[in-house]
Amino acid sequence: MNKWYRPDKLWRALVILALALTLTVISFYQGRQQATTRVFGLADLIASTHTEGQYAVLVDEEGQVLDMMARRVYINDEFIAADNRRYRVIRVEGNRAICRQIGIEQLSLEAEESIAANDTAVPVQAGGSQVIGVYHSHDDEAYLPTEGTESIPGHGGILQVGSAFANRLRSLGLNVIHDQTSHAPHDDSAYRRSRRTAAGLLQKGAAAIFDLHRDGVPDPSFYRSTVNGQDMTMIRLVVGRENQNMGANLDLAKRLKGAADARYPKLIRGIFIGAGSYNQDLSPRAMLLEVGTYTNTLAEAKRGVTLFADVVPPVLGVAARPAAARTASTAADWKGVFWVILALILGGGAFLVISAGGWDKAIARLKQFTSIEWVNLLGWQRLRKPLVVRIKGPGSKEPEAAVDQEKRSVNEAVPNDQRAGWQKD
Amino acid sequence: MAGYTTGVLLLVIVFGLVYFGLAHRVLDRLYLSDRAALVLIIAMIAGSFINIPITSGRVVTSVNAGGGLIPLGLAIYVLYRAGSSREAGRALLGAVLTAAVLFGISLVTRGREAWNVTGLSLLDPLYYYPLIAGVVAYLIGRSRRAAFVAAILGVLLLDIVDLFYYLRRGIRGTVAFGGAGIIDVTFMAAVVAVLLAEFIGEARERLQGGPEAAGRPRSLLAGLRGASLKPLPGNKKGIKGEQNE
Repeated sequence: MNKWYRPDKLWRALVILALALTLTVISFYQGRQQATTRVFGLADLIASTHTEGQYAVLVDEEGQVLDMMARRVYINDEFIAADNRRYRVIRVEGNRAICRQIGIEQLSLEAEESIAANDTAVPVQAGGSQVIGVYHSHDDEAYLPTEGTESIPGHGGILQVGSAFANRLRSLGLNVIHDQTSHAPHDDSAYRRSRRTAAGLLQKGAAAIFDLHRDGVPDPSFYRSTVNGQDMTMIRLVVGRENQNMGANLDLAKRLKGAADARYPKLIRGIFIGAGSYNQDLSPRAMLLEVGTYTNTLAEAKRGVTLFADVVPPVLGVAARPAAARTASTAADWKGVFWVILALILGGGAFLVISAGGWDKAIARLKQFTSIEWVNLLGWQRLRKPLVVRIKGPGSKEPEAAVDQEKRSVNEAVPNDQRAGWQKD
Repeated sequence: MAGYTTGVLLLVIVFGLVYFGLAHRVLDRLYLSDRAALVLIIAMIAGSFINIPITSGRVVTSVNAGGGLIPLGLAIYVLYRAGSSREAGRALLGAVLTAAVLFGISLVTRGREAWNVTGLSLLDPLYYYPLIAGVVAYLIGRSRRAAFVAAILGVLLLDIVDLFYYLRRGIRGTVAFGGAGIIDVTFMAAVVAVLLAEFIGEARERLQGGPEAAGRPRSLLAGLRGASLKPLPGNKKGIKGEQNE
């Protein structure tokens, strides 16, 4: 009699168990397999808790090193190198990603515009209406040489880097909200937590939001640059591929790079366009910055990010001439709109065909959808009229009421009954 | 927002409309009328701007009206309206398992980005959360409503786990239940989970040629072919698979 022992229950439990086991075995096996090539898996996880020091190397087809970053790289990830060459990952072997050049980005035009806007504005005094949001999804990220460790949950050096960035932006006349909310621990939920911070910044009217991080490549010189005789860290811009704002944010990244290249050559490490969303689905003006790596010093990182702050106002169009220099709509923005609509049509269409069981039925259902589904949302006025007549009474207007009753379509009469087919468990 | 131009604004608006449209479809499945669903969506959007602080100090906690309170209320309402205590039990079990699986993933990914972990790296956490919630809830509860409850309560349980983590480790932290409002992972997970359950459910029913009727209590079967389904002229009663059209 005990229902838990029914065979279908048992099967379901077995399926879940089998799935869990398969996942565990796969990740353990891959972890072991990749331990030799220093790529991340379950096996190295048990030994250490941080990925600092583990990194992917991006090479061209001749094996020349193009880039390094402490993240897993996938086929079809792209990056725009410091010299504006754009590459796409075509093959991944262990921690080496083999890339092919797919073009050269033309960033110079935009750079000239930005510089022009910037030159007329020294010192830049914005209207004060524009707000920039700065936050840290990984607030534990620290700089080893200065802080003695690479991770301090809740108090990493990256917070000070954020302060330096915010202060410079403020001195350029912008309103900056530097949100130091902690999103510890540093796990996959960090973006779930920081999403709330980012949304809060947008609610406060932030025109753009910057999520400041630092990389985990061990070689400090890889991210070190000398500008005006001072050592500082380079900055990498990261754009997430998995959201509708990717095109718009990539555009922003290119404009930032163009402007920075014109003013401080060698400040930008490159633009990486990789898996992930990084809360960039929240805004078409959301950017993730990697300010140096954990083996750089905090001072270097602060200097790097301060210089980078100089190019933000003109690019975002929040400098001296807000109206004239406003961030223009780009083809990428429109493409984003197109993709969202296309995804809706394709996804909705596929679902409809499957659930209805064929083209004809899907079309019939679509018609039913437009006539019935919204009926008690739009139908309140249509419903009201006959009811009023009915209340007026069985006496004088009885025949009219009867006509009205007949006129009412079945759909309008009992909307919820008709719609119940849609409201299954 | 002031700095946005037409293209960007349209992108934001179109995405918003699509999302709210889907959310409305989802609420429609929860013993709510169209109008109630719409009112709730509007309430959630408005409530997104209301954060109710609970504690301050080292560990800051707050709950967002639109992203935390209303979804929680909805989940409780769905549990309350559940047809049987077994259904409610399954939904709760789904919530606990969802939270457990997601917490397990958090543990595995601690100290690293999720996309640095084999198998999790293909999708952003934002997307696999609801997928996991949807799949787990569907396997356990076999219903869209269970998926909704499991996703909402599952993510809220994760926040409680965070709270314990901060308290135990003695580090500063913030737990903002549903803090991003209607675009918080809490409600987004529920939207995707329900749509996923719907998709799996419909595909499965299609494959097996209609809802499974054998061995089900009579009261449930009555609901399946009750007043809600006016027989179409060409519909022969009693044939499996035709009931659902």
